Amino acid sequence: METAEIRIGVYICHCGINIASTVDVDRVRDSISQLPNVIVSRDFKYMCSDPGQELVIRDIKEKGLNRIVLASCSPRMHEPTFRMTIQQAGLNPYCLEMANIREQCSWVHEDREYATEKAVKLVSAAVAKVSLLEPLEEKEVEVRPEALVIGGGIAGIQASLDIADAGFKVYLVERESSIGGHMAQLDKTFPTLDCSACILTPKMVEVERHPNIELLSYSEVTEVSGYIGNFHLKVRKKPRYIAMDKCTGCGMCAEACRMKGRIISEFDVGMGKRSVPYIPFPYAVPSKYTIDPENCLFITKGKCGKSPACKDACSSDAVDFEQKEEIVELDVGTIVVATGFDLFDAREKPEYGYGLYDNVLSGLEFERLVSSSGPTQGKIIIDGKEPKNVVFIQCVGSRDKSVGNEYCSRVCCMYTAKQAHLIHEKLPDAKLTVFYMDIRAFGKGYEEFYDRVREEGVRYIRGNVSEIIKKGDRLLVMAEDTLIGEPVDIEADLVVLATGIVPRRDVKEVANLLKISQSPDGFFLEGHPKMRPVDTATDGIYLAGCAQGPKDIPDTVAQAKGAASSAMTKMARGKVKVEVTTASVDAFVCRGCGRCVEVCEYGAPNLEEVEPGILVSQINDSICKGCGACSVACPSGAISMKHFKNEQILSQIAAVI
Amino acid sequence: MNSEAIVKETRAYHCLECGVCTSSCPVARVNPSFSPRLLVEKALFGFGDEIVRDRDLWSCLVCGRCTSRCPSNVDYLNFIKEMRIEASKLGEKGLFSHDGVMNTIMELQLTNLQQKRTFWIADDLEVADEGECFYFVGCLPYFDLVFGEGGYCDVGLKPTERARNTVRILNKMGIKPVVSNDERCCGHDLLWNGDLEGFRRLAELNLKTIKKSGARKVICLCPEGYVTLKRDYPLYLGEQDLEVVQLYQLLADKLKEGKLNFVENGSNNPVKVTFHDPCSLGRMAEIYEEPREILSAIPGIELVEMERNRADALCCGTSGWVNCSSCSKQIQTERLKEAEATGADILLTACPKCGIHLSCAKYNSDIKIEIKDITDLIVEKMV
Repeated sequence: METAEIRIGVYICHCGINIASTVDVDRVRDSISQLPNVIVSRDFKYMCSDPGQELVIRDIKEKGLNRIVLASCSPRMHEPTFRMTIQQAGLNPYCLEMANIREQCSWVHEDREYATEKAVKLVSAAVAKVSLLEPLEEKEVEVRPEALVIGGGIAGIQASLDIADAGFKVYLVERESSIGGHMAQLDKTFPTLDCSACILTPKMVEVERHPNIELLSYSEVTEVSGYIGNFHLKVRKKPRYIAMDKCTGCGMCAEACRMKGRIISEFDVGMGKRSVPYIPFPYAVPSKYTIDPENCLFITKGKCGKSPACKDACSSDAVDFEQKEEIVELDVGTIVVATGFDLFDAREKPEYGYGLYDNVLSGLEFERLVSSSGPTQGKIIIDGKEPKNVVFIQCVGSRDKSVGNEYCSRVCCMYTAKQAHLIHEKLPDAKLTVFYMDIRAFGKGYEEFYDRVREEGVRYIRGNVSEIIKKGDRLLVMAEDTLIGEPVDIEADLVVLATGIVPRRDVKEVANLLKISQSPDGFFLEGHPKMRPVDTATDGIYLAGCAQGPKDIPDTVAQAKGAASSAMTKMARGKVKVEVTTASVDAFVCRGCGRCVEVCEYGAPNLEEVEPGILVSQINDSICKGCGACSVACPSGAISMKHFKNEQILSQIAAVI
Repeated sequence: MNSEAIVKETRAYHCLECGVCTSSCPVARVNPSFSPRLLVEKALFGFGDEIVRDRDLWSCLVCGRCTSRCPSNVDYLNFIKEMRIEASKLGEKGLFSHDGVMNTIMELQLTNLQQKRTFWIADDLEVADEGECFYFVGCLPYFDLVFGEGGYCDVGLKPTERARNTVRILNKMGIKPVVSNDERCCGHDLLWNGDLEGFRRLAELNLKTIKKSGARKVICLCPEGYVTLKRDYPLYLGEQDLEVVQLYQLLADKLKEGKLNFVENGSNNPVKVTFHDPCSLGRMAEIYEEPREILSAIPGIELVEMERNRADALCCGTSGWVNCSSCSKQIQTERLKEAEATGADILLTACPKCGIHLSCAKYNSDIKIEIKDITDLIVEKMV
C-alpha cells in the first residue's frame, strides 16, 4: 500500500443542521473534489451513523481508496469511531485525518460565506496532510498483576481490598505507623452517626489478614520509574526500632518510657500526650509499637538512664536500636494514589485566635475531644468545666480567597451539624450556635440531618465571623447577622472552627515523583472532571479520595472502588495498548543536550551513553503520550512526532495559506 | 468610573454576602446605619447613584480591616475611593473637622504660595538641600499650628518634635537628609476624599522637588505618606526611579547591622509599653515586625500586645479629617481602653495622625495611659 498511488476519499458531514446550517456543504464537497488525488468527495447527513460509515467502507472497497478525510466534528469526538471504520475496510487506522468543521467552524461563525470558505480551507489542509500520513502499527505491553496503593486511609484501604479481592497482589504503602488515616480520628460519622472506628476497624483488620495484601507501614515511596504495566518502585521502610515479628503490642515499653506523657500525640492532634514508644490508637493496624526517633532520649542524646527503660521493660526483646532503614524494590502494573489531605491550619486566620486561646479548637481537635477513645474519654471538658455556650464557625479556610482556598471543602457543613448534635446529646443544656455563609447539605440524608439538628435547638446565624476576642475568661465571637443586617456578638466558652481540607504539604513532591499533575487548587488533577474522574494523565495511575479533592466518606469509598476497578481492568486483561503517535529520535542528529528530558511531563526520554562521551536521547514508547513538548524543545530538530511530522504539519499550513 | 465599572474593578461581584466586612468594620460596630456589606449590595443592585449621595460614604475610615479579611478578595478600599471620586465630581464631600482648616491647607499647597515649612529645623540638626536621601516630612509643620503648643486644639504632642526626632535619628545613622521648603502635602487625604486631580498635582510637584534635590531614596516617618509615595504615586503617575522606605524598615536594617544602638542600662523595673499598629503601616504596608524589633532592642522597656494587634489592629477612629464624630470617639475610647487593659504605662504610635486622634480622645476622660511616638523613645535611648 505504501508505494501505491495516493487515493483519497473525503466525507463532509452535515451533522444534522449543526454544520450544514452555517456551512454550504455542497460547495465544500465540489471544491474539494477538484484537489489532486481526491477520488471521491461526498457529503452526508450524519457520517457517524451506520449508513455514513457504510458509505466509507463501500468506497474504500469499490474505489480502492487508501487515505480518508472526515470533515465533521472534533477528533476527540469521533476519531476513534472512524479509525475503526476504515480498519474494518482493511485500511491502517492511521490513514485517517479529521477536519474539524463543527467546533472550529460552524459553531463559532455566523457568516455563511465566511464559514464556507474556512471549511474549504480546513478540509484542504486535511487532504494535504492525509497524503503524507504513514500507516502506524499499534503496540501492546504486558500489565503486571500487582498494584501499588499509596496511602492507607479509608480510600487506600478500600482500593486495596477491592483489588486484592479480585485476586491481584496489592502493596499498600502507609507513611504512618498504622493505617486508618483521618477516618480513624473521627468520632461519629454524618449523617448516620455510625461510630467511625466501628465501621473502619473491620476493614483495617481485613487488610492485615488478606493473603493478597502486603502492608508496608511506616514506609514511603521514594522512587517511581517505568510505565503502565511495568512500574518499578523503591520504598523506604523507616526503622521502628521495634522488631515487628517480636512485638506483641503489650505496651510495656510505653509504660516504662522515661518520657511517658510528655510527647504530644499526633493522633490526638495535640489534645493528648503519649510516650516515645507509641501505638497511635488502640485498634491500630499493625498493632505494633514504634519508637519515635525525634523524641527518644537514647536516639537523640545517646543516653537514657543507665539503659533504655523501654528495652528493659520489653519481655519479648523486641526493642532494637540497631535497626536501620530499608529500601524495598517493587514491580507493579498499576498504582492507586490515595494520599489524603491535610487540615487547614487555622493559624492562617489570626483573627480567630486559634493557637492563642485554648478554647478555640479545630474541627479535628473537637473530634478527638468528643471521641470515647480520645484524651478525655469523650467527656466534653474545657478548662475543667463543661461548656455552656458553644459556637461553631463554618468555612474556616474554605471558600476564602484571602487564604488562597477558593473551593468548598464539602464536609464542614455536615461535620459541624454532627458535632453540634453530639454536644446536644452529651450536654443538652448547652447553647449551640453555628455561623454559616451557605449550608451545603447535598448528600443522601444530609438535608434531613441538618433539619434534625435545627429541631434539636441548634441556632444557625447567617454570617461569617469576623473575629474572636477575649473578654475576661470568655470569648466574644463577633459577626454580622446578614439576614437582619445587624452586628451580633456571642459569648462563648468553646469555639469549634470548621477547618477545611487542603492538599498535603508534600503534594508537589508526590506529584513530581509520580509525574502526575495538580489542579489549580493544589489537589491531584483527574483525567477529566466528569468522564475520567479517577484517572490521571499518566496511564496506569489512578486517584482515590481527598488526594483528588475534598470529599466525604461515601464519595471517597465510591471513588476508591472506581480507582480499584480501573486498575483491575488493566490488570485483568494483562495487556494494554500504548500510544502510537509517539516521539522518535534521529540518533544522528541528537546532540544529547537533555532538554527533552527536562520538558517531558511523563519521563519518557532518557539520555543514554551510546559511545563513550556520546549521549543520545532515547524515548520509551510505552511512556510517551505524544504531546510533542520534546519535539518543540529539541534545538537540533532530532525529535519528530509520529503522525505529526514537521512536513505533515507544514503541508497542512501551506494548504490553508 | 461608573458604579458598574467600580463593581467590576474592585471584584465586588464576588461578594458572598457573608458579612465579615460589616462585622469587622469599627464604624458599623458603633453606627448601625453604616454597613460596608450593604454599600456593596447597593452597588451590585445598580443603586450607585444612592451610594454617591449617601452621607455614610464618608464614614468609612479606609482602615482596611474588611478588605484584609474578605473571603472573596473584594477590594473594598478601592471601592470607597472610586465611589468618592465619583461623588466629589457631583460636589459631594464629607463633613470636615476643624472647620476644614486641614483641607484648606492642603488646597493652598496646590498654589504657588511661598511656604514656611522648615521652621522646625533646630540648630543641632544636619540637613541638606541636595543629596542622596530625601526626608519627606509631610504635614507635621502644619499640624503644629493646630495641635501643637498654642494651637487651638493642643493635644500636648508637639507634632514637629517627630520631625526633629527623625532627623536626629538619621543623623545618628550617618545620614544627612535633604529637607525641602518646597515639599507639599503628599496628597493622601485629597485622594481618599475623592479629589483625584488635586492629588495628581501635589504628587507631580513633590516628585519634581524630590528629583531636583538629586535624591534617589525617600525616607518617610508618616506611614500614610509612605504608602502614598510608595504605592499611589507609581499607580497614578507611572513608575518612578525612587526607592521609598519607611523609617522603621530602615532602622530595623540598621539594628541588624549593629548600627543602631541603645543605652546599656535597663532598669530593674521595665516600663511597660504597648504598640498601636497604624492602618497604613500595618494593613496597607504590611510593616508589622520592624517597629517591634526596634522596641524589643531598647533596654528597660517591655512590650505588651493589645488584644487586637498587627493585621487585626483597630483603627484610630478618623481619617482624612472628615466625618469625625461620636462614632470616632467611641472607637478611639475602645482602643485606649484596650491599651490600658494591657497594663502598659505608655501607648506607642507610629503615625503622627494616630497620635493626635488618640490623644484627642483622652481629653476630658479618665483614661490615663500616656501616648508617645516610637521616635520619642528611640531618641531618648539611642547612643
